[in-house]
Amino acid sequence: MTRLEKVFNQNETKNKVLVTYTVAGDPNLGSSKKILKDLIASGADILEIGVPFSDPMSEGPVIQKAHERALKKNIQFKDILNLCKQIRIENKNVPIVLMGYMNSFLSLKNKLAKELNQAGVDGVIVVDLPYDESKSFFNNLKKENIDLIRLISPTTDSKRLKRMLASSSGYLYYVSLKGITGAELKNFNEVKNKVKKIKSLTNLPVVVGFGIKDAPTAKKMASFSDGIVVGTKIIDFIEKKSTPKISNFTKSLKKAIN
Amino acid sequence: MKYKNLNNYAFPDKEGRFGEFGGKYVSETLITALEELEKVYAKVKKDKSFQEEVIKDLNDFVGRPSPLYFAERWTKKLGGAKIYLKREDLNHTGAHKINNTVGQVLLAKKMGKKRVIAETGAGQHGVATATVAARHGLECIIFMGEEDIERQALNVYRMKLLGAEVCSVDSGTKTLKDAMNEAMRDWVTNVEDTHYIIGSVAGPHPYPEIVRDFNSIVGKELKIQSKKEFGKYPDIIVACVGGGSNAMGIFHPFIKETKTKLVGVEAGGSGVKSGKHAAPLSDGKVGVLHGMKTYLMQDKNGQILSTHSVSAGLDYPGVGPEHAYLRDIGRVEYQSATDQQALKSFHDLTKTEGIMPALETSHALAYVNKIAPKLSKSKTIVINLSGRGDKDMFTVAKEDGMTL
Ligand SMILES: Cc1ncc(COP(=O)(O)O)c(C=O)c1O
Repeated sequence: MTRLEKVFNQNETKNKVLVTYTVAGDPNLGSSKKILKDLIASGADILEIGVPFSDPMSEGPVIQKAHERALKKNIQFKDILNLCKQIRIENKNVPIVLMGYMNSFLSLKNKLAKELNQAGVDGVIVVDLPYDESKSFFNNLKKENIDLIRLISPTTDSKRLKRMLASSSGYLYYVSLKGITGAELKNFNEVKNKVKKIKSLTNLPVVVGFGIKDAPTAKKMASFSDGIVVGTKIIDFIEKKSTPKISNFTKSLKKAIN
Repeated sequence: MKYKNLNNYAFPDKEGRFGEFGGKYVSETLITALEELEKVYAKVKKDKSFQEEVIKDLNDFVGRPSPLYFAERWTKKLGGAKIYLKREDLNHTGAHKINNTVGQVLLAKKMGKKRVIAETGAGQHGVATATVAARHGLECIIFMGEEDIERQALNVYRMKLLGAEVCSVDSGTKTLKDAMNEAMRDWVTNVEDTHYIIGSVAGPHPYPEIVRDFNSIVGKELKIQSKKEFGKYPDIIVACVGGGSNAMGIFHPFIKETKTKLVGVEAGGSGVKSGKHAAPLSDGKVGVLHGMKTYLMQDKNGQILSTHSVSAGLDYPGVGPEHAYLRDIGRVEYQSATDQQALKSFHDLTKTEGIMPALETSHALAYVNKIAPKLSKSKTIVINLSGRGDKDMFTVAKEDGMTL
């Protein structure tokens, strides 16, 4: 069983999964590692680690600035892999998922899957790699047992969804709104119906992300999904130099969803 | 790789690719919009009444066909090949960009979109978009990098007069690529009622095809005009390459006419060796940005490098995927011209022909300035004079040490 499967299997006992997103090297490598460890300690079940990119097209202002802060520190891909390794040495169970843009992953060429595996990475989310373009990328990752986590959006129709599900693994990430990270989440019912629809077509766990910034929203979203992703709000604490507040916030989310 | 036979040249393929280049590297939310655009475009491409509507606007609103002008004094001065200018600077709004927006706005209406957005560098595409939006009564938002807003102030004001909202983009390098990021962010948020009018043969499929098709009126006209003017197709066609729309527009109808040499000129900035330039086909690596696989200026971690060019319209780290393919198969030759060479050619053409070219276009002129004297007088060169230089007054004055 993979680490991701294990996390969601505990879900049989109805525990909802808390996924956190932070950017590697934001505000610097050392703090970023400490933040990740704090997140685990305060209840994060899966770490999504952002790979900073010069052109983060799907991010709102808060996460854009996180990418810029990390790049100012000259974070290299090898630093990110090292960061994952260090987390993995201290924690054998928490799944690590790298989330970023295609050009970053391409920079490792054919060594990508192997390097990810060696760094203890479990999955990859590529924001600008839709299903249609992902076949060889998916197969290469599979060889090293790395899951390619699919993003599903409000505009994904059922025909397309069925095709995507045929080559999905790990979990599914439902993007709750049409927009960028950090946007306002308005239509709960629409999200609920869509998630129900997805769950009726697959056994894979479905987590909901984008626009979740507080415990009440997290609770609502978790009530019909397998878990939630929170990113912008955590990074907001980093931007405002209030990282000590991250732990309590994370704990409050974890409590709210279960 | 060298091309053998181009008789069957028909790109993009079904996957939206030109060889390995192109594709649709966008977030899942945009896929539906791109598929809709693809479907609607395939339909109107064959729809006679739609095409007639486009042609009518190109004739009566834009003022086409644009003349093919013999630059007699400049030819004499250089003392070699005969030089002709395809006068896209005479189009309404002053550049080739309007050929594309006239078509895309009709597409937007066909899809029932009420709002159009665009990115712009030099402001020419922004003005061309704001113009057609005004003509059709659509809401219009233009994204423009903070740095470009400064150096193209005249065009910013033009857009505002036309009723467009100009959004200043202060992320990243504050130039064209960042404006495009921001336009993508807007599009993903407002995808239901908004059409994104991309301004070059760049971006995800089907944009490189759509923008090429609308601009290829330039090459089609040239085929007729050159036969009439000098009894054959040109020996050489030269165009500047930013994203590559004016170049692709004039090249595309000639791809199978292999006796005609095609040359694209990128922005060499302070020189390709200096690293301060915007010439991904001369000094870039294959990667993915803005929805397409193409040559990009990037570092070893895949971070996009900041570019440098005196011309805002060429200041872009990528290039349209069809250019990447034409480069690899050797059908088009890509060269570069530096800021200084472009500025010199700007002055040369202004003084010898009474035509003030855009700084983007001046890069193509600079290349011709170099090769024309070495060619025999029986040869003909056609330059795509993609735009006029009024918008560049402040930049040129600054480079010349003047304040206006
Ligand atoms: C006059 C002119 N020529 C050329 C360009 C470069 O664009 P492209 O390479 O798409 O023709 C621009 C862009 O703003 C322009 O304004």
